[in-house]
Amino acid sequence: MKETVPVRKIVIAGALGAVSIVLFLTKLGFISWIQGISLTVMHVPVIIGAVIEGPLVGGAIGLIFGVTSLIQAATAPNGPGDVFFVNPLVSVAPRILVGVAAWAVYAPFRGKLPAISLPLAGVVGSLTNSVLVLGALVALKALPLPAAAGIVLSNGLIEAVVAAVLTTAVVTAWKGIASKGGVSRVSKEG
Amino acid sequence: MKSIEFFRNVSIGQYMDTRSPVHALTPITKYLGLLALAVPILASVSWPGVALSFAAALAVSLAARIPVGFLLRGVKPAIPILVFTAVLQVVFAWPGDASAKLLSAGPVVVTAMEVRLAAMTSARMVALMAVIALFTSVTTERETAYGIEDFFAPLARIGFPAHALALAVAMSFRFVPIIAGELEAIVRAQASRGGDFGASGSGPIRKARAYAPLFVPVVVRALERAEILVEAMESRRYSGANRTRYATFKMAEGEILVRLSVAALGVAGTFVGIRFR
Repeated sequence: MKETVPVRKIVIAGALGAVSIVLFLTKLGFISWIQGISLTVMHVPVIIGAVIEGPLVGGAIGLIFGVTSLIQAATAPNGPGDVFFVNPLVSVAPRILVGVAAWAVYAPFRGKLPAISLPLAGVVGSLTNSVLVLGALVALKALPLPAAAGIVLSNGLIEAVVAAVLTTAVVTAWKGIASKGGVSRVSKEG
Repeated sequence: MKSIEFFRNVSIGQYMDTRSPVHALTPITKYLGLLALAVPILASVSWPGVALSFAAALAVSLAARIPVGFLLRGVKPAIPILVFTAVLQVVFAWPGDASAKLLSAGPVVVTAMEVRLAAMTSARMVALMAVIALFTSVTTERETAYGIEDFFAPLARIGFPAHALALAVAMSFRFVPIIAGELEAIVRAQASRGGDFGASGSGPIRKARAYAPLFVPVVVRALERAEILVEAMESRRYSGANRTRYATFKMAEGEILVRLSVAALGVAGTFVGIRFR
């Protein structure tokens, strides 16, 4: 068996996958703004992974996160809409594509103009999530088209802005640390 | 903020060790079984395919000595949501719906197609819940991760990163308690400085901005931890090629027959689900 995936890609996929699992399970990944409706930021680690390490890592994080939400929806659903996520077409496939889409808009910049490329990756990644998840629900006839379009326009657009802000903040912070040559910091805390 | 102690009640699925013959199967067979039961449910346009998978899941749970109530523990909290979905499906009219009208009250018309759709959605969800809960109750964490590598081994020959994916999944499991601990530390630190995450202020953007002091450090710390692990692995010259394994899974006698019949069941279920209406 020959494999050429660098260790860094594997480890970063694992670590960011764990972040999205934790945000999901602790419910800290949800920001509720109107009773019963919440914004989600759990797909942001997927976007960050895609931006830092490419589509393979983004896709892997999306897969890990998607499967977690699938299992959670099946064994312990606790929010409106959770039921839909038992279907992998709703919970897994869109999340894998979030990473791929975010990378696809970020890659052409080749790391230049981070003030534009990072928010753009956040917006596109986030909208991919909303549109594909709700699109899958419409395709499965779980939700009529007008209702789905309404959710994309209300929640989806705000989520996209939030994702853009968080992606930019994390990636610039991380790139700043990396470029100063002090990448592993926890080890120096003794 | 309800509770700061997050990671004490973090669990995904739940393994139930009854030492049954089903538990003793290799991860490949378990994944195959998961696919064979889930695909017909997803592909079915009518109830027979869903019912077949559901019945098979119940039969396997009997053999695995997993109580049926344990499999369906997700269903009870989901009932209000299933009802809500059904109401949505009935209230909104579907374009091109020419089926018989069963009931009409003012602007709301209940048609046969709407009722059928609502029933199918619920049935599909309940059956999938049972199948996934069954898989997680007979498969350990380690089997879940290694199973990915074994299951995709044929694809690895043409370049699919099976080993890398399995390792990333296994690492995620290991990272979860660490990240949860980090998160707890950061939430405590911010709370002691008077921070509260999105609890104050109105407007979604403002709430999201209040959220950044939590989200950014958690992700950056996770990346730092990853970097340390990368350094440790690279300094030991880790490579995915030709690795041996601490845990190996041996096929029980006659397991090949189990695999064949499981695959046959999957194909039959999908056929029934697509063909019969």
